[in-house]
Amino acid sequence: MSSQNYSYNPSGQQASAPVTAESGRSVEYTCGDCDASVQLKRGEPIRCRNCGHRVLYKQRTNRMVQFEAR
Amino acid sequence: MAPAATSTEWSTDFDTARRQRLFQSPPKDTTAYPMLAAAVDPHIESFNSIFARKGLLDEGIKDIGTKVFLDGDPYAQPEETGPRNRLHVRIREVFFDKAVLPATNKFALQNRNVFPAECRERHATYKGKYRARIDWRVNNGDWQEEVRDLGYVPIMLKSNRCHLENLTPDQLVKAKEETEELGGYFIVNGIEKLIRMLLVNRRNYPMAIKRGAFTNRGPGYTPYGIVIRCVRRDQTSQTNALHYLSDGNVNLRFSWRKAEYLVPAMMVLKALVETNDREIFEGVVGAAGSPGLGEKQFVTDRVELLLRTYRVYGIHSKAKTRAYLGEKFKVILQVPEDMTDEDAGTEFLRRIVLPHLGSYDVTESQNNDKFRMLLFMVRKLYALVEGECAVDNPDAVQHQEVLLGGHLYGMILKERLDEWLNSLRLPLMEWGRKNDWPAFTSPQFQRDFLPKIMKRTNENIGQAMEYFLSTGNLVSPTGLDLQQTAGFCVVAEKINFYRFISHFRMVHRGAFFAQLKTTTVRKLLPESWGFLCPVHTPDGSPCGLLNHFAHKCKIATESVDVSAIPGLVAQLGVQSRSSASLDASVVVQLDGRVLGFCSPKQAKIVGDTLRYWKVEGTHGVPLELEVGYIPNSNGGQYPGLYMFSQSARMYRPVKYLPLDRLDYVGPFEQPFMSIACTNPEIVSGDSTHVEYDPTNLLSILANMTPFSDHNQSPRNMYQCQMGKQSMGTPGTALRYRTDNKTYRLQTGQTPVVRPPLHNEYGLDNFPNGTNAVVAVISYTGYDMDDAMILNKSSHERGFGHGTIYKTKICDLEEGTRKSRSARLVSKLFGFPPGGLVRAAWREKLDDDGLPRIGTALQAGDIIAAWHTVSYDPASNEYVNRDLQTQFFKYKEDELAFVEEVRIIGSEDGTSPCQKISIKLRVPRSPVIGDKFSSRHGQKGVCSQKWPAIDMPFSESGIQPDVIINPHAFPSRMTIGMFVESLAGKAGALHGIPQDSTPFRFDEQNTATDFFGHQLMKAGYNYYGNEPMYSGITGQEFAADIYLGVVYYQRLRHMVNDKYQVRTTGPVNQLTGQPIKGRKKGGGIRVGEMERDALLAHGTAFLLQDRLMNCSDYMKAPICRACGSFLSTQPTVSEFDRKKKGNTMVRCRRCAKLAEGSESTSEIWMDGQGVRYTGGDDVAVVAVPGVLKYLDVELASMGVRLKFNVSP
Repeated sequence: MSSQNYSYNPSGQQASAPVTAESGRSVEYTCGDCDASVQLKRGEPIRCRNCGHRVLYKQRTNRMVQFEAR
Repeated sequence: MAPAATSTEWSTDFDTARRQRLFQSPPKDTTAYPMLAAAVDPHIESFNSIFARKGLLDEGIKDIGTKVFLDGDPYAQPEETGPRNRLHVRIREVFFDKAVLPATNKFALQNRNVFPAECRERHATYKGKYRARIDWRVNNGDWQEEVRDLGYVPIMLKSNRCHLENLTPDQLVKAKEETEELGGYFIVNGIEKLIRMLLVNRRNYPMAIKRGAFTNRGPGYTPYGIVIRCVRRDQTSQTNALHYLSDGNVNLRFSWRKAEYLVPAMMVLKALVETNDREIFEGVVGAAGSPGLGEKQFVTDRVELLLRTYRVYGIHSKAKTRAYLGEKFKVILQVPEDMTDEDAGTEFLRRIVLPHLGSYDVTESQNNDKFRMLLFMVRKLYALVEGECAVDNPDAVQHQEVLLGGHLYGMILKERLDEWLNSLRLPLMEWGRKNDWPAFTSPQFQRDFLPKIMKRTNENIGQAMEYFLSTGNLVSPTGLDLQQTAGFCVVAEKINFYRFISHFRMVHRGAFFAQLKTTTVRKLLPESWGFLCPVHTPDGSPCGLLNHFAHKCKIATESVDVSAIPGLVAQLGVQSRSSASLDASVVVQLDGRVLGFCSPKQAKIVGDTLRYWKVEGTHGVPLELEVGYIPNSNGGQYPGLYMFSQSARMYRPVKYLPLDRLDYVGPFEQPFMSIACTNPEIVSGDSTHVEYDPTNLLSILANMTPFSDHNQSPRNMYQCQMGKQSMGTPGTALRYRTDNKTYRLQTGQTPVVRPPLHNEYGLDNFPNGTNAVVAVISYTGYDMDDAMILNKSSHERGFGHGTIYKTKICDLEEGTRKSRSARLVSKLFGFPPGGLVRAAWREKLDDDGLPRIGTALQAGDIIAAWHTVSYDPASNEYVNRDLQTQFFKYKEDELAFVEEVRIIGSEDGTSPCQKISIKLRVPRSPVIGDKFSSRHGQKGVCSQKWPAIDMPFSESGIQPDVIINPHAFPSRMTIGMFVESLAGKAGALHGIPQDSTPFRFDEQNTATDFFGHQLMKAGYNYYGNEPMYSGITGQEFAADIYLGVVYYQRLRHMVNDKYQVRTTGPVNQLTGQPIKGRKKGGGIRVGEMERDALLAHGTAFLLQDRLMNCSDYMKAPICRACGSFLSTQPTVSEFDRKKKGNTMVRCRRCAKLAEGSESTSEIWMDGQGVRYTGGDDVAVVAVPGVLKYLDVELASMGVRLKFNVSP
């Protein structure tokens, strides 16, 4: 697999130009069994690298989440 | 030093610190709530018995035996083929493994076990590999063995095939389960399923039945019959029935593979043993010279006739009779073609006639047992017809036992194995036909048998079991001797813990009885005392059919050792010969086997002695044995001493007075025993037993109703239902659950007023409501008609605040075929590389196209993005070509938050993400219209959230959380609620929990007095009344107000799920009427009764509006002349372009073809350009759309509707 173009660059997005999805971006998940963090890219098989578990949880976003509390 | 063992003793105390410790460090030895675990034991233990050594399946395999198939063309003449070869196939043993990863998964190394929690999360089935070792040989060659895979069979949780078996609470928590995980259910596609227990006829007891339907069997049949449900050692059953014919004859009826057969009982008797007419005569009537023979004219006449009519068959010896039976039943028994008739007859007797007395390797003495039993049945039948005994009530629990989930599961497994071997016949034939009938001895057969012939059979038993559990449908060629084919399995819903635990104590009478018009099966009978809860049954259609076990009722899951009983009974003077009169000798039976006869007096002594020994635990009499002595009576139940030792029986603990020790009592013996309810009720010389506690007759849930003995009984029934509908705490392992929908109460509390059983069952782990200060006062007018007012400040502090968790599954493979490989992935989650990503999309979605956790979702928001891909083998990547992003959407109307996102991988760990499961959280704070209830069947709807400053207050400054109307009480008579209020108030004031067990107070020692004094000690009014002041004016009320603390439940019925409004919306295509259904935005039907009400009210315009204008109002042209809707048609203008608006409508039927001489103004043209004149007497009327539709439908049948139009 082409893991060469792995580069996570959140600031690389231009504000004005239309944003296109990049292919090599990986997202971190948490293993459902051993709690290890698992980095997965698009199309990669779902399993924990550490223990081979088959359920991964999405981690809580680190963006600010703000609601109007009414 | 090892830590102290976990205490399992509980009282009514709050035990706050103790529970906290149990939560913080779950016990490492045993559960603290053994009673709770015992509640599901029947399920788990019955499942365990399937695969135990010498368990149900081992017995079943013996019963299946060896199957024999013959080679050669079955249609060829015997002389052409010569002797045929015999292929023997049998199952030696079966293996059932625990749940592990399949071998295709090469990635998990340390732990290959699949735990139930993973199956829930992955929406998968918790199943283990099922294999069978089969032996086969041709003719008398050597046995060859082979292990065949039979698929994956679902495993019951906490059974002996589950990883959770015997885990400590601490280990359970680590396995992502509750500390008190109960097990007893299956996980099928992530849904928890359980096999419901069924009430069936008591096994091995010949029941006297009078049923009108018996006469439908043919001419001469009477309503009288004796039915016995014989249960083999593998728990499969076969019902045998004896029918009385009007001429005195007796026929044996049985059903085999869903077809019914009738055989003369005499023939079966003669086939079983080598006998003679005298033996049969004496067996039915009584020994010659025995007392009472003279009065037995009725029976002697009929037995004589029985013997005489049988002579017409002219079959004399046992061998000849068997051969005769064998010849008749050879085909339906599916025995090998070359079996002799006599052997087939033996096979018939083995499989069908009273198989509980021997169903494999039947010995001569077992056949003799069957013979004697059959004679006894004939005897009872004649006694029934003569009126010497009464019919047995099959609806009474006395004649019932429980079909346990595990036993049913084992029965299906056995039948599947049997069918699998039988299904070999077809592939064998096909193989023979294709290969020109080679012999089984040929090397070709040796080569082909396993890979070609065996392969053609359906070996996937696991799939069949999964189907059974997920649908509850029984697909069976034999019907398994059951009366229903559907509804065996239910979802073990975890709405709250009460509902969940109730599922395991639930027992159904059978779907067949649900459609019965009569209500007799639903009646609450006194026999049920202590076995089935009288309170805990739903009202409505399943009332009385769906029962719950009393909380102390146990179910036997294995047979106890009774090998000593026949010897003991013989020593006590039971002999094999009977006399003619029932007064002189009654039968002694053990599990449907006749041990002998003795005098009634002696039978009582035998019964009492055995009971003494069984409680004492001596002489090898087991404690669980049921010793049912039925005394002689004047036309009552047929007397005798009947003992039962096998599984599936109910039994319950009571105290045996002579030894002051525990005894178990079964439903069969109970009606003839004297069991005192309380100690003062013991009658010397009569009572043999006393109840440990009168509350033992209630189910777990019914026991939780405080002071239920003070309530009118239907109110307790309502509470049993509402307790199961309340928003509570379904569990503590919510994080690892993916239920479709779960309810959760945020502010659950332990009730101040509760019985000690509340702690005993660990219900504080799953709080189900909140203690509320309740004032019984008519204050605002918003509390009429069972409405209740909530204190707004209580609401703001979180009273009754709840949450709904919903799980949405986004599956990219939905609808595609299951058989897939990593190469066949056609869709992927995320945005296509290089595709446009809008900023609005990224509001809700992360880089991976999945929702961010914590995002708020409104209706129509996107929750996941996906795109199509195709696999590119060159780069080993999935390539998207269209750059299009597609979305899963959130479709509900309500605000929800993304709580968890689960990425679900495949079992083998190789394929990319194809399925995610998103748990959404819907906050549900109480709103006006939400339903609440106390624990006394007093439900109400919140009608206002009243501001705290306007609420009334007491002298101590207490404001009520809830105000209910006094009118809720007089007609419902829920005095228990008053007592709870009183007790709760006293408990809250003193800081003590209050014991609310029913039957603790009486007339001399009243509850009011007890709690009144507590209140007095706290400085309050003895009666619980208090002076209160209006929150609005500040003036004291003229009356004192009843103010106390009551435990309130919030029910799951909330307006947000129910409200339905519509002005305009979708309509039915055909009729033009509004569609129904809240989900589709439909309307609510104004039905006949509503119409009647409007009519009676004289509101004609309203009626017109509802039924016409808001429904299928339609303007339709009608021809005044011919009165038809159908003949009118719009005209086409000859010259103009299509003009909007005033197109003319003409009646085609009344028009004439234009001759050309008319003026152009009179001529009109239809769509085909044909010119007409006339037909212009057309009016437009408003009619319901369905009227036109009706006209069309009738016209299609050649019926014309003519409407007279005036003026």
